[in-house]
This record gives sequence, C-alpha cells and structure tokens, in this order.
Amino acid sequence: MRKLARYAPVLFGVLSFVFIFIVWEMTSRLQLINPFFISSPTEIFKVLHEQIISGELFENIGVSFTEFAIGYGLAIIIGVFLGLLMGWYKVVDYALDPFVWTLYSAPIIAFYPILVLILGLGKPTVIAITFKLAVVLVLVNTASGIKNVDPLLLRVARSFGAQNFELFFKVALPASVPMMIAGFRLGVGRALMGVVAAELFGSTRGLGAAISYYGGLLETSKMLASLIVVSALGVLMTQALSAVEAHFDSWRTGPET
Amino acid sequence: MLTRIKTTSKDWLLRAKNNRLFISTLSVSIFVILWEVLPRAGLVDVSYISQPTRVLAAAFEEMFVEGVFWGHLYVSFIELAVGFILSLLVGIPLGLMIGLFRKARYFLDPPLMALWSTPRLALIPIFIIWLGVGVESKIAVVFVGSFIPIIVNTVAGIRDADISVIQAARSFCAKKRDIVIRILLPTSLPSMMTGIRLGLGRAMMGMVVGEMYVSTKGLGYQIMQYGEAYRMDQVIFYVAFVSLSGFAITNSARNLENRLLKWKEG
Repeated sequence: MRKLARYAPVLFGVLSFVFIFIVWEMTSRLQLINPFFISSPTEIFKVLHEQIISGELFENIGVSFTEFAIGYGLAIIIGVFLGLLMGWYKVVDYALDPFVWTLYSAPIIAFYPILVLILGLGKPTVIAITFKLAVVLVLVNTASGIKNVDPLLLRVARSFGAQNFELFFKVALPASVPMMIAGFRLGVGRALMGVVAAELFGSTRGLGAAISYYGGLLETSKMLASLIVVSALGVLMTQALSAVEAHFDSWRTGPET
Repeated sequence: MLTRIKTTSKDWLLRAKNNRLFISTLSVSIFVILWEVLPRAGLVDVSYISQPTRVLAAAFEEMFVEGVFWGHLYVSFIELAVGFILSLLVGIPLGLMIGLFRKARYFLDPPLMALWSTPRLALIPIFIIWLGVGVESKIAVVFVGSFIPIIVNTVAGIRDADISVIQAARSFCAKKRDIVIRILLPTSLPSMMTGIRLGLGRAMMGMVVGEMYVSTKGLGYQIMQYGEAYRMDQVIFYVAFVSLSGFAITNSARNLENRLLKWKEG
C-alpha cells in the first residue's frame, strides 16, 4: 500500500496524459471540432514517424540545438564573468545596474529587427537573441550569489590572514556556486524560448522554423508534431538541470540551506 | 560588501565610488554620449544603430506630428489587459484548487509542468490558425504566457504554509473552511503576488512577440514594419518604449507587492 502511494504521482501523471490524448483523438474522430484545426494524436505520431525516417526531425533538432548551445554557452561565460565583477566590485555593480535591469524587464525578442539589420537573417541573429535572453539571468544570479556570501565566513578568513584574491577564490566563489547554478537553470528555459521564438521569425531551419513554416502552409499535424518535440525537449532539459542543481547543492549542509 | 579603506585616495573619490546614484547616472550618460558621438565621428554607420537625437525626433513625430503611436498603444494595451485579467480569473482559482486538493494536483500537475517547460511563444502560430490574425490570437498568447506562473506560484504558496500553525488551529477545533480562509489564503498571498508579477512580464513578452509575428496593429506590429523598412530610428523608439514600460510595470508591481506585504514582517 505504501509502495502504491509512492508511485501515485507518476501513475496519475501517465493517466492524465492518456486521458488528454484519448479526449483529443475522440474529438477529432467524431468531428466535434474540425480535425483540420486540431489534428489528432495518431496523425501526429504518423508525421513524427515519417520525419524520423526522412531525417528531417533530427536535422531540425540539430540546428536548433547548435544555436542553443552556442548562445547559452556564451551567456554562461559572459554572464558569470560580469556577474562576478558586479558581485565583488561595487563600482561595476552601480555602473551596470541600470542596463541589466532594463534588459531584464525588456521583451528582448523585440530587438529582433535591429539584430537582423546588423547580423543578417538566420543563425547569428537566433544565437544573439538566445544569448541576450539567457545572459541576464545568469548574471543577476551570479552577482547576488557573491553579494550574499555569509559575511561571517569572510571575516573569519580575513582574521586568519587571507588576502583579497584568496577571499574571492576560496570563500566567495565556492559559496556562490548554488546561486549560480540556479541562474543556469533559469537561463536554460529562457534560452530555449529564445531559440524557438527567434526561429519563428526569420529562419529556414530548426524546430521553430518548422513550426512557423508548416503553420503558414496550414499543415496542422506537421506543425503540432514539431511543437510536441519542442515541448518534450523543454521538459527533458528542465528535469536534467534540476538534477544537476540538486547535485551541486548537496555539499552544502548546515542550517542555512 | 567589503569596504576597503585606502588612506591614500582622496576623500571625495571614495565618497563618489560608494554613491549608487552618481555612478549609475554617470555610466548611463557615458553610454548615451558615446551613442551620439560615435556615429557623428563616422566610426559607426548611423543607419545600423541610429542616435539618441534621431530616436527622440522619431518619437516626437510618431507621437505628436503623425500621431499614429496612440492607436497602436491602445490595441496593445487592450490585448495585454484582457489576456492578463483572464489569466488571473483562471489562474488563481485553479492554483488554489491544485494546492488544496491532492487528487487535483496529481492529475493537473503533469500537463501544467509540460506547459511550464515548453517555450510558450512556440504556440503563436497555432493560435493564429485557431483564432485569426486579429486581437483574439494575441489575447490567447498573453493568457498562456501569464497564467502558468500565477498557477505555479499560488500552488507553491499554499504548500509552503506552516504546518505547525495549521496543527495549532486544529487543536483549537478550527473547521477545514476556517483553516483555508484564515490560514492558507493569507499565507499563500506573497507567493501569489510574485506569480502575478512574473506573469506580467511574460504577458508583455507574449503581446509584443505575438504582434511581431502576424498582426494588423499594435506596438509589435510597428516594430516589425519599421524593421523591414530599415527605419532604425523608429524601431529603436518603439523597442525602447516597450522596454521602459516593461521596466515601469514590473517595478510598480514589485512596489505594490512590498506595500501589501508589510504586515508579514511584524
């Protein structure tokens, strides 16, 4: 009985999706809603099967993933670097603060036409938008990780004669890792959104481009197939990063966590 | 965080370095001046990055000479307002239900989590097919963008309620209804407010991107139109307007949040 209770969430989760698919299929079969608009799960699986055989699916995933990896990688490198500077030096913090917060609350995809004019259509623009969306979160989290290091730890280290760079590398940096990782996780979601949304507009390849292209042709099944793949990738990545986060947080024991 | 006292540096320099307003103003002014001067000196092509004076001129023209700005602002505002109010009306009751009833949580959590991890802007094309290129599809985008953070945070607020307070209430024979109204609802309010604030940001993003994708009117429509016509001054004006109003809206939501939650600290 206890075992059953442990698996209840998983069981209900599966049931919930099965229920959605059955209702969806029935609505489509019984023509309650025109199948042209909503397609149906069986149609979508057929399309996915075709796309796997023709290689189209993996090509799109490959393109989107490359753009994601480059944009997100750059966001981590630059975000961590600037975040550390902002966390450690007050002057840098004060100087960059207005820009960071404007970028934080700006709907960044609105910069798309500007970026197209500067970088051209296609990959570079997608990467730039991905980068811009993810970098702010990484930066803000890294900076606040450094700023919120326990002052007691710093004072102890200082009393034992630690130099400034030792304070930074041996105390502040390790202590801010969990916050940083949390920023990475939030950044993944935003970066994924950046890739897909930027591809919707002006790309010819990639998952977002496929959604947009088939949408324009009114091929609902093919469009929903790409959408479901995007959704599945999103779930996978968020889960993976939550696991990473839990791993990095585990060394931190004590009352404050 | 670390105040290093250097006796060698002059006193005013030290004070200036610790003055947030001074440093921030300085850095923004440097940015604006460089932006104005670099194209004038011929170092950067003005047609790519425009200039502050040109952007201001474009703003003046759009707002007061031609006056086209207000109509687009109105359409965007309606989309944002209707979509966001709908998401409050759906999100909060649904969030409360999921938070209070375990069965509802088991059943609704997985699809909600899937929707939470999906980049919701990818839904724009399907909304266009379902609802057309007009205002309705943008309302749908705004709604889907903002109702998820509201639900998730409402649920989290209820689940984080202090168990010992509930047990204390039970010992004093509180009914289930009393526990919900007097304990769970008030304690979940802060988290709910955070969800509403996050939702507002998502709502703005949805509005602009939806309009940029396909539409006939609105701020995002203008951004795309001018972008395709290579008119950088106007593009930057609209992008700046949307960004600054995003900043203003989220900031005032944060202030409201802090003011409403003052009682909590006492």
